[in-house]
Amino acid sequence: MHELSLAWDVIEMISHEAEERRLKAIYEIRIEIGLISGVEADTFSSVLDMIRGKTILEQARIDIIRTPGKGRCSTCNLEFLMQDLFTLCPRCGSIPSSILSGKEFRVLSLQAD
Amino acid sequence: MCETCGCHQPREIELNRDILSENNRIAEHNRGFFKEKKILCFNMVSSPGSGKTTLLEKTITAMNHDEKLFVIEGDQQTTMDADRIEKAGAPAIQINTGSGCHLDAHMIHEALEKMEVKDHSILFIENVGNLVCPALFDLGEKKRVLMISVTEGDDKPLKYPYMFSSSHLCLINKIDLLPYVEFDIEKFKEYALIVNPDLKFIPVSAKTGDGLEKWTNFIYDLRSTISSDL
Ligand SMILES: Nc1nc2c(ncn2[C@@H]2O[C@H](COP(=O)(O)OP(=O)(O)O)[C@@H](O)[C@H]2O)c(=O)[nH]1
Ligand SMILES: [Mg+2]
Ligand SMILES: [Zn+2]
Repeated sequence: MHELSLAWDVIEMISHEAEERRLKAIYEIRIEIGLISGVEADTFSSVLDMIRGKTILEQARIDIIRTPGKGRCSTCNLEFLMQDLFTLCPRCGSIPSSILSGKEFRVLSLQAD
Repeated sequence: MCETCGCHQPREIELNRDILSENNRIAEHNRGFFKEKKILCFNMVSSPGSGKTTLLEKTITAMNHDEKLFVIEGDQQTTMDADRIEKAGAPAIQINTGSGCHLDAHMIHEALEKMEVKDHSILFIENVGNLVCPALFDLGEKKRVLMISVTEGDDKPLKYPYMFSSSHLCLINKIDLLPYVEFDIEKFKEYALIVNPDLKFIPVSAKTGDGLEKWTNFIYDLRSTISSDL
């Protein structure tokens, strides 16, 4: 389960950030997880919850923003929503030539003192 | 604190930082190291038991006379695979990830400090047997080689699309067992090509040696492009 090691990576990243910016408390962290990023948002959110006790994120509200997957058709150029990596163009059935969104996995922002 | 009325106003800090950025930074560092020393590095991924170690043993026997080969073995426990590789004739170092289900770039960086991988050599990294977690972690490899054995079923691309979309080559192993199992190679390729139209396939049997030459030729071809890279 890579979500566990990724959750530790977030804690480490934020601890480092807090030290650098001399933050004393973090009230909120916003994390963006794309629907086709390969990271399971529910799993990630529950493991982060499990391990954040006694870390800089202990008291923080965790706001997870799920970005839908979107691709552009390789044949007819239509932009369409992708539920998974196998979603084909609903108009012509082709594979997407590029993925426009849904691959994100990043910390967007913090509210802190 | 708000300066006018003293109410509590926390600061809003924009970060927009990729959570995999630290791993990616170290992976790029490893890649730079390989490039400088003209080392050709493969990241071998599969389910447990697909036949990665067996294929590496056969590859070492086939190539040892004209190439310098090194292996990094990733497993949760034991040094059994590294022992098998050493016996086949290549220096190997074992990384035990414990409860961790994948190798990351930092582990490879550390292994490279312990084992001296020679210039102009070929380095195989056998990742932890798992088709989910290793997909997100770049190690700095030149090519990611995914192995699927025919006993695992031809629907694997549907179940593990991220691994298929991030690999360059797919070895279809245990083809000696094709007469005994349901595995439609054409259907399998069709599924895989949806998520990765650039994926190449080589059917092999690590047991009988069938297809091994296609695989070693794939390696030799890359070897020559790296050697001529200035
Ligand atoms: N029939 C057959 N068995 C194989 C082949 N390759 C590997 N095996 C067997 O599959 C099992 C797992 O192989 P191993 O190399 O340890 O897999 P790994 O976990 O991917 O390293 C062993 O019993 C091997 O002997 C093959 O091409 N054909
Ligand atoms: Mg093995
Ligand atoms: Zn279309």
